[in-house]
Amino acid sequence: MSATKVPEQFSGFAADSPETWDHPKLVKYAPKKLLPVDITIQIQACGVCGSDCHTIKGNWGPYNRPDLVVGHEIIGKVIEVGSQVTKHKVGDIVGVGAQANSCGECSRCKSNNEQYCQKGGVFTYNAPDPKADNYITQGGYASHVRLNQHFAAAIPKNLDIHDAAPLLCGGLTVYSPIVRNAGHDLTGKTIGIVGIGGLGAMALQISKALGAKKVYAFSRTNSKEKDAKALGADELIATKDNANWVAEHLDEFDLILNCANSGKGANLDPYLQVLKLTGVFANVSAPPADEKLEITPFPMILNGSTIKSSAIGSMKEADEVLKLYADKGLKPWIEKVAVSEDGVSEVLSRIDKGDVKYRFVLSDFEKFFN
Amino acid sequence: MTVEAVPETFKGFGVDVPENWNKPKLVEYQRKKINPKDVVIKNICCGLCGSDILTLKSSWGEFGRNDQVVGHEIIGHVIAVGEEVTEYKIGDRVGIGAYSSSCSDCSRCKSDNEQYCTQGVGTYNGVDPKADGYKTQGGYSSHSIAHEQFVFPIPEALSSSDAAPLMCAGLTVFSPLVRNIGYNAEGKTVGIIGIGGLGHLALQYANALGAKVVAFSRSSSKKEQALKLGAHEFIATGEDKDWTSKYADTFDFILNCASGIDGINLSDYLSTLKVQQKFVSVGLPPVKDTFEISPFSFLHHGSAFGSSLLGSKKEALEMLKISAEKGIKPLVEEIPISEAGCNEALTRCDKGDVRYRFVFTDFDKAFA
Repeated sequence: MSATKVPEQFSGFAADSPETWDHPKLVKYAPKKLLPVDITIQIQACGVCGSDCHTIKGNWGPYNRPDLVVGHEIIGKVIEVGSQVTKHKVGDIVGVGAQANSCGECSRCKSNNEQYCQKGGVFTYNAPDPKADNYITQGGYASHVRLNQHFAAAIPKNLDIHDAAPLLCGGLTVYSPIVRNAGHDLTGKTIGIVGIGGLGAMALQISKALGAKKVYAFSRTNSKEKDAKALGADELIATKDNANWVAEHLDEFDLILNCANSGKGANLDPYLQVLKLTGVFANVSAPPADEKLEITPFPMILNGSTIKSSAIGSMKEADEVLKLYADKGLKPWIEKVAVSEDGVSEVLSRIDKGDVKYRFVLSDFEKFFN
Repeated sequence: MTVEAVPETFKGFGVDVPENWNKPKLVEYQRKKINPKDVVIKNICCGLCGSDILTLKSSWGEFGRNDQVVGHEIIGHVIAVGEEVTEYKIGDRVGIGAYSSSCSDCSRCKSDNEQYCTQGVGTYNGVDPKADGYKTQGGYSSHSIAHEQFVFPIPEALSSSDAAPLMCAGLTVFSPLVRNIGYNAEGKTVGIIGIGGLGHLALQYANALGAKVVAFSRSSSKKEQALKLGAHEFIATGEDKDWTSKYADTFDFILNCASGIDGINLSDYLSTLKVQQKFVSVGLPPVKDTFEISPFSFLHHGSAFGSSLLGSKKEALEMLKISAEKGIKPLVEEIPISEAGCNEALTRCDKGDVRYRFVFTDFDKAFA
C-alpha cells in the first residue's frame, strides 16, 4: 500500500471577510485533529453549491473564522483513517456533503435523520465541532478535508468523480424530500419542480428516474424549456407568461418541490392551490438569514395542503442517490473549472448571477496542489 | 314529499353593513329553492362560531347581501325533503355545519373529501350555483336548507344545544386530529393551542382518541379547566418563557385552535415537533395577519405547516358517535335568540368572554 503523505497543514482558498467574497486567496491552516472515527481525504474535485456563495457573502451570518474555506460537494481519496474507522479504508474514493458531524446519540441520529440532529449538527464549513474542541470546520475548495467517517459516502466505481460531486449536497437535498414525500417509487405520481437551477436540474433527473408519471418544470419564462425537457421534464409551465396555469392544473400534484433561490415576495399560493389533497409543497431553499417567511393558513385551507421544509438528507439517502445515478447512467449537467484562485473567483462570481448550466465542479485538484 | 309545508320566506337576524356587525335585526327573506337532494329543517338552536363574527365584520372580505344572516352550527327537525333524498324523513333531528352544498361529482366529493370541493357552498355568505346564484343565509333563522350530504343525524344521547357546536367547531378539530394521528392515537403526543370554542373540544377529542394531550394557552387562567377537559399537561406560554427546552422532540402533531396570531411564536412550536411532523392551524386569523417565521426554524426539524377545512360527513358521523359514547360535550352558554341576544352574544364572543360556546335557543318564540 502506497501511503500518501498526510500534511500537517492543509491548503485552501479562503475569504477573510464578505467584502472579499469573490476572490478567495490560497492559504494554509491547521486541520482538525484526527479522532479515532475520522478519515482524512485528499481532494480531487469539489462542486460549487449556492450555499458556498450565501455563506461567503455573509448572507447566513458572520464568518466564524477569518480564513474561511467553503465547498461541500467534495470528492477525494482516503489517505488516512483513525483507529476506529470501519466504513472506509485508505485508497477508497469518497464524497462529503454539507454535514460533517452530529451527536450520533439522539433519536434522530439513530433513525437516519442525522441531518436533523437535536443538537444542531455540524456543517462542513464555518461551524464549530464540539467533538473537536470547537474547531471551526473548513470546506472543500482545499487540498484536504478531515471528518467523521460516517459523513463520507462511498462513490460507486462506475460514477465519474465530477458527476458524483454535485450529488453530495445538491442531489441529496432534492432527493430526500422527493422520496420522503412522494416515495422511492414515483409510479403514478405527478411531481412539480420550481426553479430550474443547480438543484432543480437534478430534481428533474431524479423525479424521472424514480418513475414519475409526469414531471413539470416551473420557471418564470420558457427560456429553459429545452433544457428542462432534456433533463426529464414532460412539460414546462412558464408562470409569468401563463396567467391561467393554476386553473388548468388543479388537483394535479402529489409533490411540488421549491428549488428556487427564493427571493423576497416569493408567492407560494399558486403552487399550494394545484396540490392534490394529500399533496405537499416542500421547500429546500434557504434565503438570507434575515429574511422572514410570512405564513398564513388561508392558501392551505382550500385543499388542506401543507408546506414542508427539508434540509439536505441522511447518509443513507446519500448512498441511495449515488447508486441511482450510477445504476441509471445519469449525469448531472456540469461545467468543470480547474481549481486555482482565478478558477474559484470565476465560479463564485458566476454562480452568484446564476450563470451556469447547471452546476460548477472545480477539478484538477491534484495537479494544482502538488 | 311535501314542499307545501315550507314557507316561501324565512325569518332571521340579519346584518346590513359591517359597522352593524353585532346588531343583527329581525328580517324576512326569500328562501332558496328546494333541490331534489335538499333537506329543509325548522331550526331549534344554533351555535355562535368565530367565523360568524369575522364574516360580519368583513375581516374575510365583504358579505354578499344587506340582510346577511350568519350561523352554521344549526340543529333542527326535518320538515321537508327533496324527491331524491334517501337518508332523512320528516321529523328527524339533524344538524347542518359550515357547508350546505357541493358539486357531488368531482374526485373530492366522491372520496369523502366533499368539504374540499372547489364548488363548495358556504351555509351562509355563499353563492349557490344550483339555486340560481342564491346568496345563502345561515342559522340565526327560522329554517335552513342543505343538500343531504351536508346534513348530519344527531344521536339521541346528545341534547340539541350540545350537538350544535359540534357541527362546525367539533368537526373542524376532529377531522385534522383523525387525519394526522389516527383513530387510535395511543403513544402519540398532541399539542392543542388555544383553549376556546375549538380548543376546548379538541382537548376532549384528542384525549378520546388515546393521545397524550398538552394544552397551550397564554396565561394559566384556563389551566384547571383544560386539565378537566382532557389535557394531561398545560403550558402557559406567556408565563413559562423556557417551556421549549423541556419539550424538544415531543409532539407528533400540533393543532392551533387560536383565533389570532397574538402570542403565537411559531418557531417555538416547530422546535418541539418531532422530525418531519405537522403544525396545522384551523384557527383562522383576519386575512391580513400572518405568522412570521425564519425559514431556518422550519429547516431544522423538517417540519410542515398546514391548514384544514371542516371535515367530511364520514368524519362527522364518527365524531357524533364518539361524542355520544364518551360523553363529549361542548361547554355551552345558552342565549335566547333575539336582537338583544344576538347583540350580547356577538359582542361578548368577540372579546373572548364565553366559556366556551354560545348557543342561541328559544327559536320558536323568536320566529313565531
